[in-house]
Amino acid sequence: MRRNALLLVSLLFVAPLATASSEPGMQSFGHSVTIDQPVKGDVQVYGGAATVRDVIDGDLFVFGEGVTFEGKGRVTGNVIWFGGQVTNGEGRIGGRLYSPTSFESAAAAMTRNAVILSLLVVWLIAAVILALMSGRELRLSSIEVRSSPLHCFALGLVAMTSFVLSAIVFSYLIPYLVGIPLLAALGVFAMLTKVYGTIAVFHAVGTLVAGSRTRDQLARRKWLRGDLAMVVVGLLILGAIRMLPVVGPLVWGCASVFGVGVALATKFGRREPWFLVWRPADA
Amino acid sequence: MNEACERYIEDPEANAAHLETCEACRELFGELDTPVAEHRPISVDALPLAAWEGASHRSWPLVVGGALLLIGIAAALFAIAGISPRVLIMQLPSRDVMASVINGGGAFVQNAPRAWQIGIGIGFLVINTILYVLLRRSPRGVDAA
Repeated sequence: MRRNALLLVSLLFVAPLATASSEPGMQSFGHSVTIDQPVKGDVQVYGGAATVRDVIDGDLFVFGEGVTFEGKGRVTGNVIWFGGQVTNGEGRIGGRLYSPTSFESAAAAMTRNAVILSLLVVWLIAAVILALMSGRELRLSSIEVRSSPLHCFALGLVAMTSFVLSAIVFSYLIPYLVGIPLLAALGVFAMLTKVYGTIAVFHAVGTLVAGSRTRDQLARRKWLRGDLAMVVVGLLILGAIRMLPVVGPLVWGCASVFGVGVALATKFGRREPWFLVWRPADA
Repeated sequence: MNEACERYIEDPEANAAHLETCEACRELFGELDTPVAEHRPISVDALPLAAWEGASHRSWPLVVGGALLLIGIAAALFAIAGISPRVLIMQLPSRDVMASVINGGGAFVQNAPRAWQIGIGIGFLVINTILYVLLRRSPRGVDAA
């Protein structure tokens, strides 16, 4: 049994996927690249610009100063870029032209606030579902973020950095069977942590701003009471701040850091320890 | 000594009212010179408002109102801009692009300069050690509140 398990683990880690034996392509770190002759495989440029004068038979990644197409330059796959601009790319890209920032730039073109409000509706649906399913846990997390904000912020920052570094380290395992499931599990966990934590922060903000201070006040209120109301009030307040040009993304980002921190600090509101300490039983 | 007396001996504070009705226990605890827990009525209104009080109330009008407000303003802004909200979905990365990003990320890590790889490895160990230390602290929200 143990031998089988060892065999399975070694297969997962050692046996590369047949599909992972990709063409060589080329990578560049810290300087710009000019493609003067055909390249088979993916081209990656980190920290520079790419000038494409011939055919790239694969994907082109540029994280730095953008892409310029010249002459018979063409990419048969996708062009994924971050930073700078894509110049003269019309009709030269076989796949999709995608940038992680294209969402924001699209948003700027079609009224940024409409996009933010649409996303807030999605947040509202998630917040209502979570408040109905786990109101008690949300409340406990909300109390934690209000009573230990510094710890939550520090934990959130460390956890987010850990997610990024873990994703990079797991990327080493992509050619092996275990790499993709590990990355997917990390992605799902990070996403759940962020969503749960941010909704707990909505609750905390709602309670700070609109929470009842006395029993009389609580008894007089018809709508503005309960976990659901606090979550909605917090979401509307943070959402309104989110629409401010520079301060908005900053505040929303901080709320995410607090959220990730509080989700982990309270183990999603369950207040259980993450690590059990072994102690010998008392005689 | 009856069952009520036994319960009082086991937990004098929780069963403080028993002393008022039981002569035997009063005498016994008087002889022992034990401070007798007094049965004092608690004024609930004097206590601070607990976080769970009224928490289960569901304000559906507020939820519906909030949702309508957000949808209404978003729809109005889309209408003013003259663009369909469907554009948002088209901006999401396709499966093809996601696969390219994942493969590209793997290739980046494996082909990065040695110094970067060492830095990433050390950073991974250091940051996860700090995370482990921070996660060992127990939450204190309820106690502090």
